[in-house]
Amino acid sequence: MALFSRRLAVVPDAPDTAPLAERALEHVDALYSLAVHLTGNASDAEDLVQSTYARALAGSAQYEDGTNLRAWLFRILRNGFIDLARRRKIVLEIPDDTLDARTDMGATDEQLRYVTAGEVQRAIATLPVELRLVVLLEIEGFSEAEMANIAHCPAGTVKSRLSRAKARLRVALKETT
Amino acid sequence: MSDDLLLTALRDHARVPAPASLHRSLARKHLARPRRWMLPTLTGLGGALAAAVIVLLLVPTRSAHTTIADEAAGDHLRLLVGRDLGVVASDMHQVKPWFAGKLEFVPPITFLGDEDFPLAGGDVAIFMGKKSAEVVYHRRLHVISLFVFQADDVPTSEQTIRGFHVMTWGRDGFGFALVSDASFDELHSLHSRVQ
Repeated sequence: MALFSRRLAVVPDAPDTAPLAERALEHVDALYSLAVHLTGNASDAEDLVQSTYARALAGSAQYEDGTNLRAWLFRILRNGFIDLARRRKIVLEIPDDTLDARTDMGATDEQLRYVTAGEVQRAIATLPVELRLVVLLEIEGFSEAEMANIAHCPAGTVKSRLSRAKARLRVALKETT
Repeated sequence: MSDDLLLTALRDHARVPAPASLHRSLARKHLARPRRWMLPTLTGLGGALAAAVIVLLLVPTRSAHTTIADEAAGDHLRLLVGRDLGVVASDMHQVKPWFAGKLEFVPPITFLGDEDFPLAGGDVAIFMGKKSAEVVYHRRLHVISLFVFQADDVPTSEQTIRGFHVMTWGRDGFGFALVSDASFDELHSLHSRVQ
């Protein structure tokens, strides 16, 4: 196999944007996952991912080669979702909630070891959109600085939203498990 | 209480893969033409064909039952997160006729649902590249999808994919896949009713 691999060469016959498009399309699953959690709807999620790629690749001149392509795509998707949410009048503000201060009400470590996918999906769906966003970005491995850039907010806000999101998830998981 | 455990649970169970149709559609739109491969050191059609055969033999392929189980888990996950069912009904006499005209076959499902596994509805899913019937049952808080599709030689298997339990089997030219985060015991119980 290695013998043949060394001899294979790609003929560069696609347009100039192709290398960027190819690299960008490696992130379809991650972008779709965020989109479906934000919209709560598979059809809207597909449209959002389609429009993200359309915007990204039409505006590919704005992408600086060597910078974080994945974060750039997530930022475009988040912006697209905010536009959609405004059109649909989806509430984006995080409501004050006394549950935030009651982490002791949440699922125990033992319960967390045995949660199922369905329980996790239901718990995430209970979060306000902006809390959902930061927790989903964290599981995708973004740093707090990258999350702040994607979510258009200070790093301190990301930190506090993450903390609130986790506390609420624990409570939601306790109720669903 | 550990944040690591919470993050592990989220990483294991929160991700929802994109449907294959979305991957295909994006590739069609944004990758102008398929790659052409050049074999500079192999000249002539015979050499290229020989190389292609060798590559095909050496490239590891995913087994059929893994692919079926993967698709079942992905489609079921999309249902959990937000995909609406085509028909929502607890009566199989409403669900089965709904498939008429939407599928090229009549799904061979006789189990109407019962107290333990109430019927929730059905949908047409694109499964293994073809239209398939998806019938959804509930088990307490769990959602269970049963995919029925036309296929020969679907292997009998039980797997856990991204936390979902998946059972596959074949019968009379049809393939079946049961998928849920309910336990395998629960799936066995439904399987015996569906059979």
